[in-house]
Amino acid sequence: MVGYRIKKGLLYAFLVILAAVCLFPFLLMIVNATRNGVEITRGFTLIPGHSLKENMTQVFNYFNPFLGIRNSVIVAVPATLLCAYFSALTAYGLGFYKFHGNKFIFFMILMFMMIPGQLSLIGFYNLCSKLHLVNSYIPLIVPSIASAGTVFFLRQYIISSMPPALIEAARMEGASEFYIFNRIVLPISKPAVATMGIMAFIGNWNNYLLPMILITKNEKMTLPVMMATLRSSTDIQRNQGAIYLAVAISVVPILLVFACFSKYIISSVTAGAVKE
Amino acid sequence: MMKLAKKLLAMALVLVMVMSLGTVAFARADEAVADLTPVELTGDKLVVWTLADDLVSFGARYQAMTGVEMEVVVIAPEDYPTKVQTALVGGETEPDIIVGEPQMLGDMFSYGAFADLDALGAQDYADQIVDYVWDVGKDENGVQRAISYQITPAGLYYRRDIAEKVFGTEDPEEIGKLFADYPTILDTAQKLKDAGYRIFSSDSEINYFSGDEAWVVDGKLNLSQARLDYMDLVVALYQNDLTAYANQWSTPWYQAMRGPVPILTADIQNYADDSVNVWASADEFAEATEGLQEAEVFAFGLPSWGVLTMRDNVEETSGLWGVCAGPAYGFGGGTFIGISELSEKKDLAWEFVKWVTLNEETADWWITFSEGDTVSLKSVLEAHKDDENPVYGNQKLYAFWQEQAEGIDYSKVTPYDKIVGDAWGAAISSVKTGVATKEEAIEEFYDTVAYTYPELEIDR
Repeated sequence: MVGYRIKKGLLYAFLVILAAVCLFPFLLMIVNATRNGVEITRGFTLIPGHSLKENMTQVFNYFNPFLGIRNSVIVAVPATLLCAYFSALTAYGLGFYKFHGNKFIFFMILMFMMIPGQLSLIGFYNLCSKLHLVNSYIPLIVPSIASAGTVFFLRQYIISSMPPALIEAARMEGASEFYIFNRIVLPISKPAVATMGIMAFIGNWNNYLLPMILITKNEKMTLPVMMATLRSSTDIQRNQGAIYLAVAISVVPILLVFACFSKYIISSVTAGAVKE
Repeated sequence: MMKLAKKLLAMALVLVMVMSLGTVAFARADEAVADLTPVELTGDKLVVWTLADDLVSFGARYQAMTGVEMEVVVIAPEDYPTKVQTALVGGETEPDIIVGEPQMLGDMFSYGAFADLDALGAQDYADQIVDYVWDVGKDENGVQRAISYQITPAGLYYRRDIAEKVFGTEDPEEIGKLFADYPTILDTAQKLKDAGYRIFSSDSEINYFSGDEAWVVDGKLNLSQARLDYMDLVVALYQNDLTAYANQWSTPWYQAMRGPVPILTADIQNYADDSVNVWASADEFAEATEGLQEAEVFAFGLPSWGVLTMRDNVEETSGLWGVCAGPAYGFGGGTFIGISELSEKKDLAWEFVKWVTLNEETADWWITFSEGDTVSLKSVLEAHKDDENPVYGNQKLYAFWQEQAEGIDYSKVTPYDKIVGDAWGAAISSVKTGVATKEEAIEEFYDTVAYTYPELEIDR
């Protein structure tokens, strides 16, 4: 009994240390958001400074972070939903339908995973320019329908966790193919879709390069693009506190999404263990 | 739990929506027009893409004075070239006004980003702007394409009180002689060390003055004697224990502006000895370096914008500083403004460029508004030549910077400078820390340059 307690105590101590290591950078970011640039360049401390208000004013001098959050939500939420739904649809199609060229398509998707997006940047800009989509959110939202990485992950998950018998039974009952996907496949693969959804949301939320190139109007910029303008100050040191504050503001939505959907990730980890 | 989280999310989103109803707020823009009654908008509009926030203030003021609507978009400096290039290659007629820093201009000129300002009459103003700035804005065929409103000559910021004690004078002229060439600097450094001070905080302080000869001459890499001498100087400063072993822009480097700093060791600076964390907090740093010998630092080498950096960091040593010339002329940074080749409003844009760079009233206002930036208009520098700066012992800095700027020879600047300069810096580092011998480091430097620029001829 005593041994068990010691073991448990050690385990908890270890976990507490691990948690502290994980949370330390966040704490540092929040503390630095309350200090001014001169203090920050002098070194770090965990005692909050007195410059929160000045940093806030400085951030607002450059942009309205709430406008940035709104713009980022307008881009990231639909992009994530489209990515999650259509990737699951594609993954199911590739995993469960036997048709000619299935392997070839899957191979192509794997290939596309390996091409860095930056390569096609100028071409993509020209395309958007010809279609009059510069300064529009459409090129930031719609392409997320085709997310090679997400399809790859979901296909593996659906193949491994989806009993074919369920689908056959549904077909016998006369369910249409779309009905089967929406009412049976999607709910069963919910943990995987949620995991990839969180990843997609973080990716879209932090996406910098494309919006930086495509959005040229101040009032349409997404949050990361707005935040980058803080680095344009002639004096590098002066905006340090404001940058920390802006970053602290920008992670709040990501934390909220995690708080809401992390349950699914945990259930996806345990799901396999119980079923087998 | 889930419900609570959902509620929280919903509330947060609502809050965001409500708070975001305001438009983009630019308080700097408000400050810039505080003394003006804005005129009515004329219906004309210019779009400015900038990497320096200065133009936000300029734009707001111009709009209030002329009624031309100014849309100023600020882009992070490191992404600015990519953004402009994509837009121009894509054939966009916006922006009208684009900018660049000296090291970006070469590339931007070569793909035709900037419109010809001579066609708009720029040459009429040629002798109103400090010469080197005018030259930086010319492309390789001598066509004027960009102009800057500021100059950025480099100087050595030194402690007057230490100078008085060690050398018996605090006069910038006399102190400048102590930095006249590399052997003299070593000599000065030794004298300061003997008197219990250190000449520099880091060993990179002379860097701005090291561009005595062009890196590339007629397509050939030019590793001149002056560069080798500079290497020897840095190595000597380092190995003979003459600096405080701080890295530029690190905690102790800033601290040295305020007063005594612990003298670190070479091992601490290059992290071989990790007993002292140079990026730690002031208190931790003080504790870790207890017992180390302390000393005050004599000088910092920075361009004219260093006036503002020093002012914000000197604290109790304010008033004790002076500025003198370095071993050569040099400069660092500066924002250059021009017109996009694809702009459909070139005449209107030229009016704005003229207003920012060539208008005495604007330059005068900018000096006050920026709290001490150094402008490029000769007549205004002349008018402010008797302005005294209290942080620097009431030295007349505008006269000094103008004099320094006159000595800068821009023909020594090439598009290769950034990469080649960095490679040379790496070579110096490996020699001073003993990682490589001088010969090995130079060979490696040649290799790096040859890989990056195969078109350059290298005479080993």
